Amino acid sequence: MADTAAAPVGGAGGAARRRSNRQRKAGARAARRWHWRRWLAIAALGAAYVVSFRLTDVDLARLVKGLSTMAEWAGRAWPPTAREFPVILQRTGETVAIALIGTTLAAVIALVFCVPAARNLTPSWLVRLPARLVLNTLRGVDSFVFALLFVAAVGLGPFAGMLGIALHTSGSIGKLFAEAIEGLPPGPLEAAELTGASRLKTVSYALLPDALPSLASVGLYMFEFNIRSSIVLGVVGAGGIGQQLRNSIELLDFPRLLTIVLVILVLVTAVDQLSGRLRQALA
Amino acid sequence: MSPVALEVDGLTHRYGVRPVLDDVSFEVAAGEVVAIVGPSGAGKTTLFRAVTQLVRADAGRVVLGGRELSALAGGELRQARRDIGLIFQQFNLVRRLSALDNVVAGRLAELPTWRVLVRRPGPTVRAEALECLSRVGLADHAGSRADRLSGGQQQRVAIARALAQRTRVVLADEPVSSLDPESSASVLAALASVARAEGIAVLCNLHQVDLISGFADRVIGLRDGRVVVDVETAAFTDDHRALVYRPAPVGALR
Repeated sequence: MADTAAAPVGGAGGAARRRSNRQRKAGARAARRWHWRRWLAIAALGAAYVVSFRLTDVDLARLVKGLSTMAEWAGRAWPPTAREFPVILQRTGETVAIALIGTTLAAVIALVFCVPAARNLTPSWLVRLPARLVLNTLRGVDSFVFALLFVAAVGLGPFAGMLGIALHTSGSIGKLFAEAIEGLPPGPLEAAELTGASRLKTVSYALLPDALPSLASVGLYMFEFNIRSSIVLGVVGAGGIGQQLRNSIELLDFPRLLTIVLVILVLVTAVDQLSGRLRQALA
Repeated sequence: MSPVALEVDGLTHRYGVRPVLDDVSFEVAAGEVVAIVGPSGAGKTTLFRAVTQLVRADAGRVVLGGRELSALAGGELRQARRDIGLIFQQFNLVRRLSALDNVVAGRLAELPTWRVLVRRPGPTVRAEALECLSRVGLADHAGSRADRLSGGQQQRVAIARALAQRTRVVLADEPVSSLDPESSASVLAALASVARAEGIAVLCNLHQVDLISGFADRVIGLRDGRVVVDVETAAFTDDHRALVYRPAPVGALR
């Protein structure tokens, strides 16, 4: 090393060399530790995959054997039938209605909880924490679970599904509402508060108008999401197009099944496109 | 002599050991426009926050229309603050509301809650708000959304909002520092003319000392938290300017 040759024995150069040696050793130790940790992480991940494969019952042979049955079903599905088209459209309407009312109810619940959950409106964590806890709990429980609970109260059908969607989504919407409100500039609200008006007045007059585009955008986004939830809830008994899908499978009526699947594709695409455009216009 | 609308008496405040306000005293009469000038860090902003009681000064009194603000707290203080109209550097209008609806916001405290919720202030308040807008020359823009107006127009809407609040004192904190010179002049002219016509006492922070002539009746110069100049605008000379803005003497920077 060039600097070794130039450095006088002992003195400052020697100290520097000792120091750099120490650093090199520490670096090597860190590198070994890093290796060790990396191998441990890879091994743990590998073990997780092995166990998960067992648990999910993955069996490629069975899939290959079953593929022919699937192909046969698919063959029998063509051409799709328009026989029950009016009924299918009516059920599709039911699915959209569940999502629409569910999302709207969720937005109303969210509007109540987002004010105590937003940091800039509620500085006291004593209020904010419980509000956030409520929203997180609602968000953490799936709409399917809520719907099952409501089956006990209102019976199987669209009503239970709508309530399930409303409760679960209110948690998500509330959280997103609170974040949208926290992102607004504080000035206009402060100005309104200094006129001595009440909290309800200042928030509704000086904050809500500026927050509205983001809130509407969140609502539309959750409506898209809830259309898909509503279909799945239908499969397990909440009515709508999902229920028709399940009936067709149970009756092995594959042309009808294909029609329903196509209608679902069109519905989901149309709603996503429409809502996407609206949200873009709001931004 | 008009009655005193705002009295500041011996206001003193420290951040740590550094005094930011050092025995500041002055009075503003009804209908009088007073400009506060001074270099950055002279205490202008702290003075404003102390007058509105957003900062509770260590010592001194703030008396507004015969009531001692500095002695109030809680709900009483909130009530008393209603008597101060505020104009901000960033206008602080609700962007998606019309100019007129923004002016109506000045009356938020006394409007019934349901009227606020449905945003229908009623014919009387609406007419008064429109009148305030026309005082600042913006009656033609009543229906325009606030964020469609220029900076100068937005600040004039904010002046109209303070007018609608029907206060006897208006504080303006650097009201033109984000505006171009032309809009600055028209905003300050609007502020001064409504103050004189309505007998409102105006206390206005200004960064640019060149804007005082034709706007302020009196100039108060702050330096290191002390009032170093307090004269009629016409009597404000280059010597006064030097007193406020001169470079600190060698050794004075501790």
